[in-house]
Amino acid sequence: MSARTARRTLWNAVGVLLFVVMVFPVYWMVSTAFKPDQQVNSLTPTWFSVHPTLAHFGDAIHKPFFWVDVKNSLIVVSVTVVVSMTLAFLAAVALAKYRFTGRKLFIVLVIGVQMLPGAGLIIPLYVVLAKYHQVNVLSGVIITYLTAVLPFSVWTLRGFIIGIPKDLEEAAMVDGSTRIGAFVKILLPLVAPGLVATSVFAFISTWNEYIFARTLLNDGSKQTLTVWLSYFLGTSRHTDWGALMAASTLTAIPVVIFFLLVQRKIAFGLTAGAVRG
Amino acid sequence: MRSRVLVAALAVVALGVVAATASASGNRVQAKTLTVWLQVDAQSGWPDVVAAADQQFQTDHPGWTVNVQYQNWGDHLQKFDATLAGGNTPDVIEMGNTEMTKYMAAGAFADITSSKSKFANSSTWLKGLAASGQFGGKVFGVPYYAGSRVVTYRTDLYKKAGIAKLPTSLAAFTADAQKLATKNAKVKGFSPVYSAGTDWYFAMAFVYDFGGSIAKTHAGKWVGNLDSKQSVAGLTAWKNFYKATSKAPATSDENHPAPYDVYSQGQAGSIIGPGWFSCCVGKTYSAVTAQFVMPSHTAGQAMPGFLGGSDLAVPAPSGNQSQAVDWIADFTNTASEKALQAKGNIPNATNLLGTSVNERAAARSWFVPAAKHWVDVENGNILRNMLTQILTGKLSVLQAASSASDNITSVLNGS
Amino acid sequence: MPGIAAETTARWSRRLPRTWGRLARGSVPYLLVLPVVVVMGTVLGYPIYSLVRISLEKYGLFELIRHQGEYIGLHNFGLILHDTVFWHTLLRTVVFTIANVGLVIGLGTLLALLLVRVSTLVRILLTAGLVLVWSMPQVVAVQVWYWMTNFQNGVVNYVLTELHVGDYFQHDWYATTFSQLSLVTALIVWEGLPFVAITVYAALSQVPADLVEAAEIDGAKPWRIFFDITVPIVKPVLLILTSLSILWDFGVFTQPFLLIGQAHLHPGNYLMGVYLYEEGYLKTDFGRGAAISILMLLIVAAMSVVYVRRMVKIGDVD
Repeated sequence: MSARTARRTLWNAVGVLLFVVMVFPVYWMVSTAFKPDQQVNSLTPTWFSVHPTLAHFGDAIHKPFFWVDVKNSLIVVSVTVVVSMTLAFLAAVALAKYRFTGRKLFIVLVIGVQMLPGAGLIIPLYVVLAKYHQVNVLSGVIITYLTAVLPFSVWTLRGFIIGIPKDLEEAAMVDGSTRIGAFVKILLPLVAPGLVATSVFAFISTWNEYIFARTLLNDGSKQTLTVWLSYFLGTSRHTDWGALMAASTLTAIPVVIFFLLVQRKIAFGLTAGAVRG
Repeated sequence: MRSRVLVAALAVVALGVVAATASASGNRVQAKTLTVWLQVDAQSGWPDVVAAADQQFQTDHPGWTVNVQYQNWGDHLQKFDATLAGGNTPDVIEMGNTEMTKYMAAGAFADITSSKSKFANSSTWLKGLAASGQFGGKVFGVPYYAGSRVVTYRTDLYKKAGIAKLPTSLAAFTADAQKLATKNAKVKGFSPVYSAGTDWYFAMAFVYDFGGSIAKTHAGKWVGNLDSKQSVAGLTAWKNFYKATSKAPATSDENHPAPYDVYSQGQAGSIIGPGWFSCCVGKTYSAVTAQFVMPSHTAGQAMPGFLGGSDLAVPAPSGNQSQAVDWIADFTNTASEKALQAKGNIPNATNLLGTSVNERAAARSWFVPAAKHWVDVENGNILRNMLTQILTGKLSVLQAASSASDNITSVLNGS
Repeated sequence: MPGIAAETTARWSRRLPRTWGRLARGSVPYLLVLPVVVVMGTVLGYPIYSLVRISLEKYGLFELIRHQGEYIGLHNFGLILHDTVFWHTLLRTVVFTIANVGLVIGLGTLLALLLVRVSTLVRILLTAGLVLVWSMPQVVAVQVWYWMTNFQNGVVNYVLTELHVGDYFQHDWYATTFSQLSLVTALIVWEGLPFVAITVYAALSQVPADLVEAAEIDGAKPWRIFFDITVPIVKPVLLILTSLSILWDFGVFTQPFLLIGQAHLHPGNYLMGVYLYEEGYLKTDFGRGAAISILMLLIVAAMSVVYVRRMVKIGDVD
């Protein structure tokens, strides 16, 4: 037993070291948000400010349109995540469990769309959305994000569904239920970790998306938080780094909260025995 | 448990759709909204000037509202391109003066020559700035504000180094820099005059000071001129000055790091840059900071400073062109320009000029060739690469200049 | 599934009738797939058509304003394929992609395996760290990385000098192309680790504990359990992550553009995403931009076809 404990301690040490190195840039961002101006860009680094200030957070929150843009981001991202996860799960079930004509074509479509460089699509997308009055409205951005998120969600969820051992499905099946009902009722809990991981990815990539949001949204009151954030950097004059770091820290909070809400589903504690090292 | 999650999800979607489309109904284009694109510099620097112009406009045009949408320098052109393709162009747009020619040549703006007299002080517009808004003899852009380049320096360090009087020639400045270097030899990485290795705005000032230029027109075509005798003399003078005064790496640019950050860290005796640099030198040294005009190699003269600035134009597809002109007139009237001047900018007309260091530096200025492909030269970093080659000694000044010149010739002529 | 798992499966399947795994007739699959097809079709239909059409036209700023291009056939493609910058950039990007994908999948999988082996507290710590990294807005992440590595007062230089690794005082990490692209790689791998690690970890957690227990009771060795039970379950996810990483890393734009900086970009350090932006959009030569986009699509399709094929095969319903 002691060999095992020793090994676990070693792994723990490695884990902690990795944590420190990996999280350092995040730490730098958050600590800078609390530093008074002269320590932000000092010649020798200030690891930990002894005179922290909340002034930058105040500056960030008082910059025009902060709360409105928080609301916009929340709306856009939550609708996108809910709708895309639902649609992607259904499509992934079809791809993984059924054989139908056009299946290969659909796969090609799903993968092929992801191979298109986004830069090439910006202007034609703007043209088509403008035609249907979907410019400068949140629904236009939501539809765009759905298009961006669906392909990899379908693809990734398909992988998770395939990965479920066949005998598990059969063991959990109940006689007499409809085929599709069985799929949903049985597959859903089995594929929950994968669904959650994919939804976290969808949440984060839409929360942080910038290029399409800034092209499609013009009014300060309609923009998302990432566009609001970009204004700190878009000036040709002095950039307020402290305020930018404070603003970025605020922007990152909802993501962390979302993850905290769903993380239990990624089998945190209960995998203690799943795979023996 | 599962049905609760489902209900919650459906509620989210329903609420979201309602919210998203509710904002849509507010977006139906009102016939009486004027859309203005200004850079964020105005939002953080002079929002009161914007508000005053909006107020004035709305008083003169009852029933109209002004919708100012702020843009970033980094991507406002890509946004503009998208609107040119799909509609919803703004009625007024702020453009950098080096960005104008390409868009004027493509027909992006409305011809406002006939309205020129509506703009305050238009007969005495700053020549360099006004020229950036004109193409083919017509006026497309109204000068908004300008900025030149000055030397921001540490009065305490200059005093300690025994520099009694500010230098009025390049030679004197170089000698003073030597005094600063000796006095501050213990500070590792100290630059008497910090400037970035690829700061072409600074380097080209030397070229123009010696009578050279970046490019000339000859029989309707552009010809790169950096390999002329005068240009090479200017580049050589710049190289010598740089080597004697700046410790920045040969590949550094003028934004990374920001010179005022280097200054605030105590690593520079003086820095070259726009006049507004004095805002950001940090608490430690702000009390011992002042500015002077960069001296020419000819004693008593100022080195020509790059006249940066912005113009205001009316996109051609706009349906509110006469209102747009009125708003621009309100935003660039004498009161507005004076307010901009108070914030450290150079106003757009010579009769408004004051005696600040920034404005005195603008008395002698240079500007980029008025070619529609000029932005491609800038984006292609042709000048920056040339400067790095010169500083690293990879190529001689003449070789680097010739190669850059040839490059510029082919890019400006559109091939 | 070979080996122990097959025996276990056989034992289970003797208990329950097989009513699944048959050809599903009817419209069910089509209905399931329809919403995705509708969304993507309506949004992307015109843009894709437009991209193809513009790639065959002379379409600059002048044409954009007039909404009218001039048909020139494959001239744009010809110009690009004859441009040495294109080929050098392509080679550089392929090498870059291989390095990035290899690092992110390799390190991410190792991280996932580590997550399984550490105690609960450390696991929570590590996962929290991964999420914090993941949640950082990309633009901000680039800025912080720039700060850490800039020559004037970068933390990296300071730490290296203090640790006596050498004199890194005001060392310029952006002086050479290799150094620049290595930093971009480090940034991209760092940003990509959370998704890979958490997704692989999620896949690992799908390995059912009782199946593993049953196998252990039958006396199987740990490594046999790993290869016979764990790997087949995780393999589809790994293949997906690899194919996605290839797609993303090949066309990457934001990180190199912002970290290296527009002022330091030149044909010698272009990656395909940057090349597309500089040649197509900064120069407002939209026809050329469209042609480059299509070429990139074809190239990345060729690069990932092996993985995609394998994925499709694995998922084939029998």
